[in-house]
Amino acid sequence: MPTLNKKLAAATCALLGTAVVTPVDAQEEPDWDFNTSLLYYGESDDRVQDLSFKSLSRRMFADDKYLSIGLTVDTLTGASPNGAIRQDIPQTFTRPSGNGSYLVAADELPLDDTFHDTRVALTAGWQQPAGEKGLLSVGVSASKEYDYLHTGLNASYAHDFNNRNTTVSAGFAYAKDSIEPVGGAPIPFTEMRDVGDLSNRVGDQDKDVLDFILGVTQVVSRNLLFQVNYSFSRSEGYLNNPYKVLSLVDGVTGDTIPRIPGPEGGPSGIFLYEGRPEERTQHSIYGQAKYNMSGKVLDVSYRYMTDDWEIDSHTIDVRYRWPIGDRSYLEPHLRFYTQTEADFYRLSLDESVALPGYATSDYRMGNFDGTTLGLKYGWKTQNDNEMSVRLEWYTQSGSVPADQIIGNQAGRDNYPDLNAVIAQFSYRF
Amino acid sequence: MKTRILMAAAVLASCAACSSMGVEPWERDVLARGDMQLTTDPIEAATDDHIYFSKEASSGGRGFGGGGCGCN
Amino acid sequence: MVEHPTQRSVEVKPAGDGWVGHFVAMASPCEVILESADRDWTAQVSAEVAAEAWRIEDKFSRYLEGNIIHRINNAVGSAIEVDEETANLLDFAATLHELSEGRFDITSGVLRDVWRFDGSDRVPHTDSVSATLNRVGWERIAWQRPRLTLQAGMEIDLGGIGKEYAVDRCAGIIRNANCGAGLVNFGGDLAVTGPPERRPAWKVGVEGDTPDAADRLIDLRAGALATSGDARRFLLREGVRYGHILDPTTGWPVKNAPGSVTVAADTCTQAGMLSTLAMLQGSNAEAFLDEEAATYWVRR
Repeated sequence: MPTLNKKLAAATCALLGTAVVTPVDAQEEPDWDFNTSLLYYGESDDRVQDLSFKSLSRRMFADDKYLSIGLTVDTLTGASPNGAIRQDIPQTFTRPSGNGSYLVAADELPLDDTFHDTRVALTAGWQQPAGEKGLLSVGVSASKEYDYLHTGLNASYAHDFNNRNTTVSAGFAYAKDSIEPVGGAPIPFTEMRDVGDLSNRVGDQDKDVLDFILGVTQVVSRNLLFQVNYSFSRSEGYLNNPYKVLSLVDGVTGDTIPRIPGPEGGPSGIFLYEGRPEERTQHSIYGQAKYNMSGKVLDVSYRYMTDDWEIDSHTIDVRYRWPIGDRSYLEPHLRFYTQTEADFYRLSLDESVALPGYATSDYRMGNFDGTTLGLKYGWKTQNDNEMSVRLEWYTQSGSVPADQIIGNQAGRDNYPDLNAVIAQFSYRF
Repeated sequence: MKTRILMAAAVLASCAACSSMGVEPWERDVLARGDMQLTTDPIEAATDDHIYFSKEASSGGRGFGGGGCGCN
Repeated sequence: MVEHPTQRSVEVKPAGDGWVGHFVAMASPCEVILESADRDWTAQVSAEVAAEAWRIEDKFSRYLEGNIIHRINNAVGSAIEVDEETANLLDFAATLHELSEGRFDITSGVLRDVWRFDGSDRVPHTDSVSATLNRVGWERIAWQRPRLTLQAGMEIDLGGIGKEYAVDRCAGIIRNANCGAGLVNFGGDLAVTGPPERRPAWKVGVEGDTPDAADRLIDLRAGALATSGDARRFLLREGVRYGHILDPTTGWPVKNAPGSVTVAADTCTQAGMLSTLAMLQGSNAEAFLDEEAATYWVRR
């Protein structure tokens, strides 16, 4: 019990004749700030599972300069929809490597479980003041998984106005990625071949992405601030998913055109590899507000995205941080997402009409809503380090445009819904 | 094209309205708190950005586009 | 003997994106940092702050004839009636003597006569220390506000309280000047009147926990810092280091006192007293500060 300190404080008050004294606020700046986490992401129905370790380290140098280094290691297992539709008979498909085939039971959504992958990503950034009111940031990033390499650089500048109440920022990022699909990149709209046949595969592919962002942050009052950002993104190059196909179906029955697999195994139907445009331009506008209500903080953000693939999306994200005492907090989280399908999204390809220029049945390019509901609990440890755990459910449910459903496809559950759990533990010290 | 102009205008309009709002330097106590930062938890934000980039067709907004992986 | 060791002037110099007022008081370089961009206003406030610092220095200096301290120390057994400010300081000193169980004692200054910390090996003889100890002891003083009576041969020295007290008084001047946040720093004992305008906090450097360690950086948004230091003045004899913080109950240096103790508290006076009391605890300094739930940095 700091009784001496209390008596000393009282004696000091008497000496100085001050009635009210602001309590001292002195924090030692650590050289290094480490932020680490362990994440589990798991989808139901034996689909994708991801275990990820992430660390973000920041070191402060004299004169407000910062170095940040990020490392992420992901291990992915589990299966992903391969784009083909369900049938009421069993189906077989060739593995992307061409070295084997796999069987999907009748009435089941075709999933490819080939992927067991480890991804390592690194980022490094440097931030320093530029003049009296400016802040300059530059950074590089790179990541590697067995079929994908990413390299990128970014830079941004922020300037304060109005007594630091307004900040305007602008930034850009450039990424150069190369894709080396397992077995080689399949030529779009060619058929999935038998085991051992890689005749429709070509070599490595490239993708360039250029991003621009323009933003304004504004302090409204002691308890409220908001940010508005406009982003532009342009991707060029290989934008296909090399592992996804579309079922070629009969124009009346809607059933997949059958095929006899080769002697070593192969597809039981005609499946055509998808093909997306080689360019994509996206625009988005994002707004976020943070509002303090007697210690509880409400964080609300909205994003609208539109692109030249005819995809429009809206995202609303709400978090409410509710302090418990002065050492812990509870934070419920709600996110709602909705998107319209790409103009080349198809459930399947109709054999009786000409093939479109581009097509994909990737559920991520379809029409769906995504809802996230989560709860986070955070606390300060004895050494004043921060720990938190969060548990969230993410569900997607989508639909296929009515005019794309053919024959027997009606009445089937055509759109692969998604149910995932997100669990994360973080430690900041 | 029209949407693009509208978006840029929205950002600039917020700029123009901004000069009358704000606080004095000694009123920044609440704003300095960790939970009042635009990105309170950078690890959680990076994690979510990556998850949603992999599972949806949109990305970024708060910062750069994210991505840099074979997951889409 | 009247001594003004340095010329008394206030200089306003540009620093970063603002102005800093510089002057010397209480044998320390002093600075007043205001984040207002106005040079004239900084000069005006700095002048007021310097005037207050010099007023306190002159009033309680041991070297100035005619001031209250001189009259008290030369009263030879007679009672001296003191003014309100001096009475407040004496009350404070009395409380501190009680809280520290006798380790903080403003009558211990006479030990200066036998201890000269000049880096030499001239450690005084036990007898001379004991003899001088007879002239030390707040218990021997008659303090009945507003009258103070010292026994012959005794002296009081407010040097251990004066600087921090002056810092707090000067912080008050800055607050009343209504010019935004400011920082007043008297040679390392400092106080702020609030968070600075252009950054989240004032950044103050504190020595690392060993001489080789880098400085620690403190983000100060409110309150004060004070440092008690033992490192620079000492005697060294036969491998034993005699630091200059003397224990008034024994007359000898505190054993195993830290090299320096920096404490952050609501006021500079409180911070200064905590750091002094911690030093007097010797090897127990950290335990003492932990028990008092203080924010501190100790260098050994």
